[in-house]
Amino acid sequence: MSSVEIITLVIIPSVIIVALIAGWRITWLATRVDRAQARAERTWAVLDAALVRRAQRALELILIPGIDPATALLVSDAAGAALEPNLSRRDRESAESDLSHVLDAVGPMLPGSPDNLESERARASICRRLHNDAVATALSLRRRYTVRMLRLAGRAAEPRPFEMADGSICTLTAGPPDSPPSSLAYVPQPSTQPSRDLR
Amino acid sequence: MTAVTRGALRIGMVCPYSFDVPGGVQNHVLGLARYLRQSGHRPSVLAPGELDPAAGRLEVEDFASVGAAVPLRYNGSVARVNFGPLSAARVRRWLRKGNFDLLHIHEPITPSISLLALWAAEQPVVATFHAATPRSRSMQLAGGVLRAAIEKIDAGIAVSESARNVVVQHLGRDAVVIPNGIDVDAFAPRTAELPRPSDHPKLIFLGRLDEPRKGLDVLLEAVPLIKNAHPDLEVIVAGQGSRLLPTWCRNLGTITEQTKIALLSSANVFVAPNLARESFGIVLLEAMASGVPVVASELPSFVDLLWPSHDNEQLGDVFTAGDHRALASAVLRVLNQPSPLRAARAQQAARRYDWSSVGASVLAVYRAALAAAPARSKVARSG
Repeated sequence: MSSVEIITLVIIPSVIIVALIAGWRITWLATRVDRAQARAERTWAVLDAALVRRAQRALELILIPGIDPATALLVSDAAGAALEPNLSRRDRESAESDLSHVLDAVGPMLPGSPDNLESERARASICRRLHNDAVATALSLRRRYTVRMLRLAGRAAEPRPFEMADGSICTLTAGPPDSPPSSLAYVPQPSTQPSRDLR
Repeated sequence: MTAVTRGALRIGMVCPYSFDVPGGVQNHVLGLARYLRQSGHRPSVLAPGELDPAAGRLEVEDFASVGAAVPLRYNGSVARVNFGPLSAARVRRWLRKGNFDLLHIHEPITPSISLLALWAAEQPVVATFHAATPRSRSMQLAGGVLRAAIEKIDAGIAVSESARNVVVQHLGRDAVVIPNGIDVDAFAPRTAELPRPSDHPKLIFLGRLDEPRKGLDVLLEAVPLIKNAHPDLEVIVAGQGSRLLPTWCRNLGTITEQTKIALLSSANVFVAPNLARESFGIVLLEAMASGVPVVASELPSFVDLLWPSHDNEQLGDVFTAGDHRALASAVLRVLNQPSPLRAARAQQAARRYDWSSVGASVLAVYRAALAAAPARSKVARSG
């Protein structure tokens, strides 16, 4: 076998096969990175909306007949702070945690039982875990050598987990899970609410 | 707001274990399917083996079989598994026909139709991790394929904190903790007026007889110590598997759900002597719901049930796993000083695990997973 034959019959096909496999693996990895980052973004939108709903339900507490003014002020302060538009990430985390603490503190003293608030709190906690889980998946893929070298993560910003205190969460109760939200709400429209339709 | 996040859902549920044999995962799947149907959704269950129609716990149109599972000896015990192109094709056909809004896959990381369904899934996937079985070695060896499958899970559910720990540490994912559900009312109102014949106490064990980790040996060793004080103690065991038992031990073998309920409500003490690896403890919960005093080994998942952090008092007696002397003295405490109040509190605590609240939590996870699903799959399915 001449050296030319060796090159055409052995080396070139081998190089092509290796290149194809490498290309396929990189594409596959890029798909996974893309999917993980997209999920981190979408779960954030869902968490954001869930937190806004939670704060709105919390504000409805002040409409409970017989609530004392000090409790009403405490709740409206905390919920209002969480609904404040244009909060930085860190400020939002601490405002949401404060709201959790306030709700834990006032809960046992309320005259009525705000059932939909409890389920909103449980939902927000579920959404937060799903979001942080998605962020962790995205981050672990982004940290891979191949992903960093070939910049497979693109220009998407690095996702961050949302750290806050959930407070004490009751188990969800039976009730119709899809009951429409109460119309009592004073509804501020914070800009933190994502503009695109989440559902 | 599309139909998917608000209205009735078509939910495909995949159970890796056959309904021919009783088991915690199977019961959970059946209970959840029934809850979903009662809440106006349309669940469909795929599992190996056949469903006993006499059991009447699932509408027949809700159930599809993937064929018999193959018994295979590996990991130190005989597992019934499904794999290969034929099973994969059947799973894909079921997925196509069902046109589901969401897939709920149980025990996704097992060599079963669960993993095949996860691999083939195009819709949002919710996965429930039941067993606290670490699989780090397989994760390293199977590498990318398994990891990519795990990444397809949109929302994980773990049945206990210990199951969640395994998910976090070995799979690199996280999960919402939602306990197993039971139908509390089926076990509940044991007539408190009906006096227990204290002169003829009954002790119950439920669980596989031939599986050492269920701890029957520890119980059998403890019984003579109990019999010193209570010579007329009746010991009743029920469960799969065959083994040689002492003559004073009555073996009922495999029993129906109804027999189990009757048995529990006639007993004076229920013993769960499990040695290890019990990720939830549904039988313990059922015993609590039926109001029988319980004595259980000190496994994390049992302690979670019997000593919930927000309750000051224990709801049952615990003893060091494997210690037959400690078991005997715990049972003697219960027999000598029965506490109906504590049993009633345990019964009350079991209410938290009723399907009405457990199912609502699972549905909340479904809604969250669907809300976070890519727009494409929603448009395709909302029409």
